[in-house]
Amino acid sequence: MRHEMLCQPASTAVQFKLDQGESLTCEVGAMIAMSSGLSVQTTSKSRGGGGGIVKGLKRMFSGESFFLNHFTAEAPEQTLLIGPTMLGDCVHHAMRGGTVIVQGSSWLASSPDIDIDTSWQGFTSAFFSGESMFWVKCSGQGDLFLSSYGAIHCIEIDGTYTIDTGHIVAFEDTLKFNIGKASRSLIGSFLGGEGLVCKFQGQGKLYYQSHTPPALGALLGPKLKPK
Amino acid sequence: MQVDIRNRPSFANLLVHFSPGDSIIAEAGAMATMSSNIDMKTRLNGGFFGAIARRLFGSESIFINEFSANSPGELVLTQPFPGDIVCTELQGNTMLLQPGAFIACDPTVRLSLGWAGFRSWIAREGLFRIKVSGKGRVWFGAYGAIFEKEISGEHIVDSGHLVAYEPTISINVGLAGGIFTSFFSGEGVVTRVRGQGKIYMQSRSFDGLAAWTNSHLL
Repeated sequence: MRHEMLCQPASTAVQFKLDQGESLTCEVGAMIAMSSGLSVQTTSKSRGGGGGIVKGLKRMFSGESFFLNHFTAEAPEQTLLIGPTMLGDCVHHAMRGGTVIVQGSSWLASSPDIDIDTSWQGFTSAFFSGESMFWVKCSGQGDLFLSSYGAIHCIEIDGTYTIDTGHIVAFEDTLKFNIGKASRSLIGSFLGGEGLVCKFQGQGKLYYQSHTPPALGALLGPKLKPK
Repeated sequence: MQVDIRNRPSFANLLVHFSPGDSIIAEAGAMATMSSNIDMKTRLNGGFFGAIARRLFGSESIFINEFSANSPGELVLTQPFPGDIVCTELQGNTMLLQPGAFIACDPTVRLSLGWAGFRSWIAREGLFRIKVSGKGRVWFGAYGAIFEKEISGEHIVDSGHLVAYEPTISINVGLAGGIFTSFFSGEGVVTRVRGQGKIYMQSRSFDGLAAWTNSHLL
């Protein structure tokens, strides 16, 4: 399976070339176009994996859909084009056996060997991080594709790094984060508009988004008509 | 201190590389990520009354943040809407920024609030504007792409599209054409800028997005 990122970062789409027998698991509704030799199977479990209904329900808590779409090439050289709903970027992360924690709704697609589960990040982080309480947990080997509103960048953290709440897309689970204040004084952190931030520790990759939907919503909301 | 503008023009954001001793002033809430050795200090944007006025009329925050580092590090600054960011280098001159446009500046740049007038308010450009003066770099952003234009004489900009201009330029509100054309062409009230100097325009208007969204809500 080969992939190519098109039109980054504002209207990113991912184009796949699949050989006969190869398959890809995608978020429901992500498909834009595909060749006629691809078959689609919709289930609530990973391909060949267990879980079923429970995993589907858990996935719904993390902001993803109950169902997953599995695309399988039944002829050689099939093309599949996928993209997220919102304006924004997509990135590819090559997984070599570890675990990646993905912000709910940022998971776009992955190789069939990658297990997609839901993980609970604890009350404090959920409450203060500006992210949802449940996260998508991807583990295994293969290709993982993530999407988000804004441009996505990757940082290789070795030590500590600070990221504002709402900007996390995904991180390797070799990293841990705490909620902390942006500056030395708590009052300053809030007056400065930064409030609480996520302080990462450890060694691994962190993907973050340049823009966040709530920041746009805060400006656009007051200009909208009441329903 | 090297500052890169990345992901232009749709999701522009600033990547600031700190050398020991560097510092940068940023709009409150603009920080996205930073190295943990970077120190953030919050202070009032100008004097007390100036800061209050800026919050009330300029749609800017009362507070600004100063980021500084004693060792190498990086900082990412962003803006709330998707769009472009440009940098302008002040050499002792002044630039006027529309409310909400300011993102960051060198600590040597002076920030203050300027009265834009009722005409500007009628053109939906705000009653106040941000004045940046002194020496140093200023980064400002917009919703959509940013165009720069050197004007001499009169130039017409649709209301809501002007981002920044030099103080040698005066602003007037006018109709796009006759009463009939102005009303039915969808252009309505326009901004007539006159003088000699540089203006910056944005390719989209935020009020335009709000109007479009409103018309599609069920």
